[in-house]
Amino acid sequence: MEELITANVATNLYWLGRNLKRANETLHKISKAYDDIIDVDIDAGRKLYKTFNIELEYDGAVDFLQQAILGEHSANILELTANARESAIISRHRLDSDAFGEIIELHALFDSITKTDREIDYKLIDHAHSLISEIWGTFSKREHTNKSDLFIKMGKLVEEADLRIRFNKDEAITVTVIEEIDAIVKVLSEDEEPVKQTQSQNSEENDLMGVVNTKINQVIIEEV
Amino acid sequence: MLEKNTELHEKFWEIFNKQDRHKVDEFKAYMDKFAVNFNLYKDGNFIEQSLPFDVVPRIISTGEFAKIDRGLQQRVKALNLFLEDLYTDAKIVKEGIIPETFVKEAGGYLKEFAGFSPSQKIRAHINGIDLVKDSADDEWVILEDNLRVPSGASYPLSIRDTYRKIYPDFFENLKIDPIKDYPSMIADSMEYVNTGGIDVVLTPGRFNSAYYEHSYLAEKSGAHLVRPHELKVVDKKVYFKNYNGKLIRVGSIYRRTDDEFLDPKFFNPDSLIGVPGLVDAYLAGNVALMNAIGNGVADDKGIYYFVPKMIKYYLGEEPILKNAPTYLPYFEEDRKYVFDNMEKLVIKDVAEAGGYGVLFGHEMTQLQMEDLKTIIKANPRRFIAQELIEFYDEKCYLNKELQNRKADFRAYVVMAEDVKVWQCGLTRYALEEGNYLVNSSQGGGFKDTWVMEL
Repeated sequence: MEELITANVATNLYWLGRNLKRANETLHKISKAYDDIIDVDIDAGRKLYKTFNIELEYDGAVDFLQQAILGEHSANILELTANARESAIISRHRLDSDAFGEIIELHALFDSITKTDREIDYKLIDHAHSLISEIWGTFSKREHTNKSDLFIKMGKLVEEADLRIRFNKDEAITVTVIEEIDAIVKVLSEDEEPVKQTQSQNSEENDLMGVVNTKINQVIIEEV
Repeated sequence: MLEKNTELHEKFWEIFNKQDRHKVDEFKAYMDKFAVNFNLYKDGNFIEQSLPFDVVPRIISTGEFAKIDRGLQQRVKALNLFLEDLYTDAKIVKEGIIPETFVKEAGGYLKEFAGFSPSQKIRAHINGIDLVKDSADDEWVILEDNLRVPSGASYPLSIRDTYRKIYPDFFENLKIDPIKDYPSMIADSMEYVNTGGIDVVLTPGRFNSAYYEHSYLAEKSGAHLVRPHELKVVDKKVYFKNYNGKLIRVGSIYRRTDDEFLDPKFFNPDSLIGVPGLVDAYLAGNVALMNAIGNGVADDKGIYYFVPKMIKYYLGEEPILKNAPTYLPYFEEDRKYVFDNMEKLVIKDVAEAGGYGVLFGHEMTQLQMEDLKTIIKANPRRFIAQELIEFYDEKCYLNKELQNRKADFRAYVVMAEDVKVWQCGLTRYALEEGNYLVNSSQGGGFKDTWVMEL
């Protein structure tokens, strides 16, 4: 029997994948910048956040962690994990229960910092990395078994494509990521033909992500 | 007062006393991790809170539960027959078993549905019956019937799941009845009344107090969780809107929305959590609703008084489980008794639920009692009075010590082709020692219920 998923749940699964991937990659970059700020380049954090179009101010490595994770800006990790948690609650009946529990724990980890005097340090970031790895591990155990997982995977890949373009990563690999997205779109939209586009045909960043977004809109049809 | 310890209790304590007490914190952390929540709005803010719970289970022997099982099957069969009769032939009223005006004045009676019979003539699909064990005679007593949208079954399921992970010793060494069949009981009921199409659980949405439960039961029963605007009614048929725009026919709906919000075209036009046209589809027989519309009449605290009469009338049997001794001020003789004995009675407003509108005579001043008598005289149908039942306390491990709390028991009874009583239930305990109100909305907690044999 056809697997049924409401547009709301599909959208939340997709954004769960995106927010987790974004939190994962951002934490990696924060760790690298933190290390550089200590004794290599005090501006490493500012440069990183410039790529997110955010002017981040801090007065040292520890303060950088504080600002990057809890600061009032759109790449705030607390907010990313809160969004992931919300998506997980809405789509809970479609998730593996272990993965659901890890997502709740991931957000609680950052949220607990706001409720105590505890300083953010590398241990917290390491713990968050481990949790995210466990979440991906749980998802990958049953990847390709149902459409719910494909929506999560699609979100993860779209975020990966977005970050690759933002950080000027190897174009050829970015194209393969988009081809993977195409393959998922094809399965999810069944009879619909996916919008075809390659990076060579359209090298502007916004256009490429625009094409990706068109593919997503083609899959999930929200009725007004 | 605590119930007398049995050999079953001793077996439990023998194992419990060997357990590392730190595991209780581990238990709580595990429950939090899986967001076993009860949502509420306080001062206009949405708050997600964990339900207080206790690790010491209520223990009921298999033999004792067998009587509860028989009594509840009997009661729910009679209540279902009452609802079907009331909305079709209304013989019970015509024959004077229940006064007509008494039924028609019940808030939950919906005259617009007179003459309609739902799929398989089942109206009371999923029922929560509240009981307490009376310390005076050691017997279980029915306190309340919930035949509209009873909640809470997911909490014992979650606590049991956690229990098995954290304390496997109990399940390895004791004969505790398994409880995982509850979602399949719901699925069977949905399938039995299904009019053709998929099964769905209709939730008002993410911010409903029991969203956790809606999501949990949908997942475990295999039904699809939907919000109201994800259903569409076309030509008196209900459809599920799939993510790709396809419409899939729906055959049964386990709705977790009260009648008055179910369909803005039929009930409250301001309802934002209803499905326009749903009642038309229901009345056309094109979709089953669980539970049926109009069941509120059977939940009515005044109608409760007549349930033993219903059992005799429809089944020709004596009730296996007793009601609490109840008086209806609507009848002159009862009113006189209530007024003469108010200080030892519990007075309940039939329109209230969740522990609200409950007044204990022994806690009232003379002036308050006189005021209440005036209110009762003006509207006697609005109140019932019951003898105060000294029901047993349960031992609870709270704040790292054993404490006694009054506890009730909500049993779940599901109707499909047969009536089945779940071998578990929700044991709710009061927030403070000596408090009789155990409702979650009054700060009460919950614990697991183990049906066990030696």
